[in-house]
Order: sequence, then C-alpha cells, then structure tokens
Amino acid sequence: MERNAALKTSMSSEVFSQLVDAHYTPLYRFALSLAKNSADAGDLVQQTFFIWATKGHGLREAAKAKSWLFTTLYREFLRARRREARATSLEDLAPGEADVAAEEVDRVTRMDAASVVAALRSVDEVFRGPLTLFYLEDLSYQEIAEALDVPIGTVMSRLSRGKAQLRAALAREETAAKSKVVPFEGTAGRKQA
Amino acid sequence: MNNQEAKFILGGYRPGGHDAGDAMFCEALKQAQADPVLGAWFAREQAHDAAVAAKLREIAPPAGLREAILAGARVSGTKPAAWRRPVWMAMAASVAVLIGVTAALWPNRAAATAPLTKFAMADALEISKHGGRGAAERELRGDLTEASTRLSGRLPVDFAALAKTGCRTVDVDGQTVLEVCFKRDGTWFHCYIARCGDFPALAAKQGPVFAENGKISAVTWADGAHRFVVAGPAGRETIARLL
Repeated sequence: MERNAALKTSMSSEVFSQLVDAHYTPLYRFALSLAKNSADAGDLVQQTFFIWATKGHGLREAAKAKSWLFTTLYREFLRARRREARATSLEDLAPGEADVAAEEVDRVTRMDAASVVAALRSVDEVFRGPLTLFYLEDLSYQEIAEALDVPIGTVMSRLSRGKAQLRAALAREETAAKSKVVPFEGTAGRKQA
Repeated sequence: MNNQEAKFILGGYRPGGHDAGDAMFCEALKQAQADPVLGAWFAREQAHDAAVAAKLREIAPPAGLREAILAGARVSGTKPAAWRRPVWMAMAASVAVLIGVTAALWPNRAAATAPLTKFAMADALEISKHGGRGAAERELRGDLTEASTRLSGRLPVDFAALAKTGCRTVDVDGQTVLEVCFKRDGTWFHCYIARCGDFPALAAKQGPVFAENGKISAVTWADGAHRFVVAGPAGRETIARLL
C-alpha cells in the first residue's frame, strides 16, 4: 500500500517535471516580452506552474495544458499590472500598411536576440501578447484567441498592427545600436601621429 | 477575396508551416500562389516572421528557473495535480494525487524584500560575528550539513531550546531570530530561523522566494511554525538544490 502511494507520488512528480520541461522555456520567452525584466518573467512562470499544480488537474490533453499555461500566464500578468485604458483606444489606430522590405529581413538577421526582444517589448501591450505568441509558434491563431480571450478577427488585426509597430521598433533598435558603436581609432590614429 | 483581405488572413500564418493544414488559410494561400505580387509579399512576410521567430528561440530561461519551479512545488508540499498522461507521452495511465496547498503557500515577492531576508543577506557577509554552541545547535547544524537533508522537509527546530542553549541569536525588528552556519560541498550557508508569529505581516505558510543582491543569494520560506531564510554566496541555483 505504502509502496503504491510512493510510486504514485514519484510518477506524478515525474509527469509534473515533464510538463515543466516541455513548456517552461516558451512560457518564459512569452513572459519576458510582457514583464519588465527577467526576474518578473521568472516569477510569472513560477506562478503559472503553481496554479497548474493546484487547479489544472481537470485537463486531459497536452495541447490543452499548453494553451491553459499560456492563458494563465497572460491573465496573471494582467492581474498583476492592471489594464490601462489606453489599451482599448489603440484598437482604433489605423493598421500598419507598410509591407516588409527585403532589407528588413536582413536587419532582423543581423540583430542579436536581446535587441529583438527589446524591440518587441516596445510594441504596445495590446499587440505584444498576440504577436509574441505568434512568433513563438506554439499556438495557432485560434489558440491565441482563446488564450487572450479575444475574437479571431481581433487576433488577426492585432497581429497586423503589431507587426507594423515591431518593424518600426526594430529599425529604431538598430539605429540606437549603431549610434553606440565607437569607431576604432587605434591604427589610423597612430599613423597620423 | 481581394489581396488586402488575403494579406490580412495570411498575416496569421505561422512561419514554421504549422498552419499548412488549416482550412482558413487555403483560399488565401491559393491566391498567393496565383498572384505574383501577393506571392512576393507573402514570401517577404514569412521570411521576416521566420527571422523574428528564430531570434526569440535564442532566448534561454535563466539558469535555475526550472529548478526553482520544481523546488517550489516540493517545498510548498505541493503534489502535482492529478494528470492523465498526455498523448505525447504515449501513455494512458492516469495519476491521482491530492493537492493540499493554497495560494498562500506559493512565492510572494514581498517576502524577498522583507526585513528578515534583507537582514540575513547583510548578516551573511559578516561571518566574523557568527558562531554558536550547545547540543541543540550542533544537532541542527548536523542535519543542515547532511547532504541528504532536503531543507524543504520539516526541519527539527526547537526554537526555545536552541535560543536557551547557545545557538546564535540576532535581533530583527525587535524579534529574536536564530542563526546556524552550515557547510555543504565546501560552501558555507547561513540559516536564519524565526517564529512565524513574530512576523505576522508575512504568510505563515509560504513556498520559496529567492532574492539576490550581487554578493549573496537567499531563499526564504515558511512552514507554518517557522520562517526560514538560507543565505550564502553560492548563487541561486546552488541554494535551490538545498531545498
């Protein structure tokens, strides 16, 4: 009897570990795009798994567990931070019409991951959630709609506007990064002297 | 469907091809194949999306986050929820586990900045002040030093006996707190123990909350009777392994 109980506990711990292993990395990336810093992102991920451990036991499928974790993380983020009234007014903004230019793809490739995340963080929050989930590629547009509790059309619209904002932010990030580069004057300077 | 509508829909098409079987995209995809202008737009859009997605995949969670999640469940006494083994594990067995914790058991950032944690992180640097004696202190130090002791288990703390028989005590906000130094794998740690009732502003039951200040890492938790802070210079990951 005792052995069975121990076995059950050890199995469930293993399953929980596997659930953590399967999802904590994309959850952290999502949290990092939402939160102010890495520590807050880590806290959000921990809190999400805690809620899973206490409330998620009714879920039967791995796919639902994944959506549930993203949904819960997003809700926890909103709960901790409170929605700003500005978020809804942004819905009225005109969509970004500019198409992607070929050099914009090269720009992203040149940039380091931290700069891309910094650009993503500067996108308005209402667009940032769906946009990050889209780029993480873990959830379909339908699952994103469920996770964020918005209609599918709204997800599409936010993706369109979010992408336009992100492209502008990436351009700004790259310009800022270039302006920080100090020209190397070593050899030329010595020759002139 | 005109090209503008097709663009609107294709904007939600994930760059990794995960949505290839989704009927919603079919018409728009066909249109992109048939219309060179739309096709070129879609190719650039996908290339850009793929580039951003690739950059996001480069972001790694901080070292120790996984351990902190697992340790958090363990130290809180949380048993993972009953969970039917998912399809991806190709197992049908179900696991039934009771969960007996409340949200009060889980990390609360306030604890990381509470006076007790702050004090411990400062005091852990001043080891010349440390030291204790007495049988009760020796016994507790022995338990803490023992590699197989998980601090997440209930530690045998007789607060009154420890305080009376020579365990080092410090004063934090007018309350008596015990301190015991112990060593694991050649690294010194400092365990601070307070009575939960002496710090009513903090939850009496709480999972681990980590704190760092560049020199010292600490973790604090409470088991209902006592609040513990373990601090040391070894880093968050090493401290998490003690739990």
